[in-house]
Amino acid sequence: MSALRTLVVASALGALAPGMAWCTDWELSADMRLVDSDGQRSLFDGGFGALQYDREHDGVQIGQLRAALNQPLGNVWALKVDASYYGQDDQHPLGVTEAYLEYRPYPIDGWRTRVRIGAYYPPVSLEDTASGWTSPYTLSNSALNSWLGEEVRTIGVEGQLEWLGTRMGHDFDLGMTGAIFGWNEPAGTVVGTGGFSLNDFQTSIPQGYVGGRGDAAFPEQPIFHEIDGHEGFYVGADARYLDRVTLLALHYDDRANPTAVDLAGNEAWDTHFNSAGVKVDVGGGWTAIVQWLAGTTAVVYSGDANSYPFHARFALISREWGRNTVSARYDVFGIESNAEQDLGAETGHAWTVAYIFNQSLRWRFALEWMHVTSDSAARVVVLDEPAYARENQTQLSVRYTIGSGR
Amino acid sequence: MPQISAAILRLMLLGLTVPVMAGTISVQANLANHEPFAGAVVSVRAESSHAANAPISAIVDQINLTFVPDIIVIPVGSTVEFPNTDSVSHQIYSFSPTKRFQLPLYHGKPYPPVHFDQAGVVTLGCNIHDRMVGYIVVTDATYFGRTDAHGIWFATNVPRGTYHVSVWHPLLRDAADSLERDVSITGDESATATVQLAQALRPAPLPATVRSRDAY
Repeated sequence: MSALRTLVVASALGALAPGMAWCTDWELSADMRLVDSDGQRSLFDGGFGALQYDREHDGVQIGQLRAALNQPLGNVWALKVDASYYGQDDQHPLGVTEAYLEYRPYPIDGWRTRVRIGAYYPPVSLEDTASGWTSPYTLSNSALNSWLGEEVRTIGVEGQLEWLGTRMGHDFDLGMTGAIFGWNEPAGTVVGTGGFSLNDFQTSIPQGYVGGRGDAAFPEQPIFHEIDGHEGFYVGADARYLDRVTLLALHYDDRANPTAVDLAGNEAWDTHFNSAGVKVDVGGGWTAIVQWLAGTTAVVYSGDANSYPFHARFALISREWGRNTVSARYDVFGIESNAEQDLGAETGHAWTVAYIFNQSLRWRFALEWMHVTSDSAARVVVLDEPAYARENQTQLSVRYTIGSGR
Repeated sequence: MPQISAAILRLMLLGLTVPVMAGTISVQANLANHEPFAGAVVSVRAESSHAANAPISAIVDQINLTFVPDIIVIPVGSTVEFPNTDSVSHQIYSFSPTKRFQLPLYHGKPYPPVHFDQAGVVTLGCNIHDRMVGYIVVTDATYFGRTDAHGIWFATNVPRGTYHVSVWHPLLRDAADSLERDVSITGDESATATVQLAQALRPAPLPATVRSRDAY
């Protein structure tokens, strides 16, 4: 109780601290791409291709224009806002991908709490550890983390409790996380109707959506909506062995009522999943990541209860030396379906190889090659195209970043 | 007059050459694989009371998301400044019982030095960059220092007496009391304490890279 009181007093003092030490951190970046692709119509154009850029959208592309702000508010509170424009998203010139208040007091006797209030990513990705929730290993995310970027954001309150054992002579740090959230009930739409894709797109808040334009194969549906009034939750745990091994696990459930539809016709998708991952830094610049995610999303549409169990996993190995990083990743993903003609069912796997040269904190050059093989029932049912597709994409990226820390 | 000066000079020289019965304590520290243990913190305490070492003013900088140096040894009563040379803000803290302190988010050198008035180990961290870790060993030992690349540390002009030698390092897995030795100086000889680790050290922290500075 006294520790709690100390915490409350310390946070109050922190919030009232003089402004002299407030340091605003900010970043602006532009990431331009030169793309060669033989991919089918992509998710972003309402198709069922698994690549970010299809054969109609290669050449010079705007990868990402990003602005980020980290504004401390006193000593232990901070406002963090990340906004991006992606070449695919012609509906939202500049969309907010994350915006939240963070309370991060100093540790007391080895224990530290963290609270996030706003919109942010649940702690699932071991891949997206670079600024702006991007990957330092590849240009495109794994299928697993691409799906998070497309559909999942915590809009609510998250609390974390960490035990910093390594600061006290132990080999481990341990943490627990829990959150209550809402306004994300359409999550499941993309995986249920469009399938998995491998990209670095992050849907913007509050009006963003993926795909569904013009003669799109599936309808546009804004992702960040509350439809049935049921709050979702997740609980997670993490463990770190020194700075070498990280284990992460999460159980997520949006607790949506799959029969609920709002006045605009937006459907609530009952989505729950478990995820787990391990990241190992063995020294010498070598890193290995394995992540696994499996769950189900379900919706009742025209009286039919459609259920889509889905899974995605990947293994990545990376070597960093000097300013160079070379990475290779293998993805496997799949969706089952009880809908007519197996609509929504998919299996696929992908190889990605990337070379990244961090010339400085400002300039980054990257080359990525990706090959995806997938089998999707929707291609046959909706587009009358072959279910099976082999797609290739090569991207050259030049990114320039300026900011307070650059 | 010249004779008096010569006599004084002779007395002074005599004084300088009178045996003071001071010896040398040397410590040889070896890793579990018998390679030299470089960088180990050695503390030598006299069994009898001794004058405290004079406090010093030290600096622990923050460069490329690393405390520089990552380990310092200072006498009790010393002060340490924590400038931040990085372009990113840091938020330094210690929750070690030896010295609890916090330096709210800052660049440059906005804060006065921190005073360390109690012996013990202070673990430094940054509340923004969890990978940053540093150590301040605040000591009341008579003699102290760190082993060189050959795993050797020594103190000269050590007066006669019994001394307690201890070795510490943040990556140690061996129990601290298993690395304690007693040595005696009875004359002007050299006494050596050999410390052999039984267990391998923990892996050293991974170095900060360009990539690690670009963190989510």
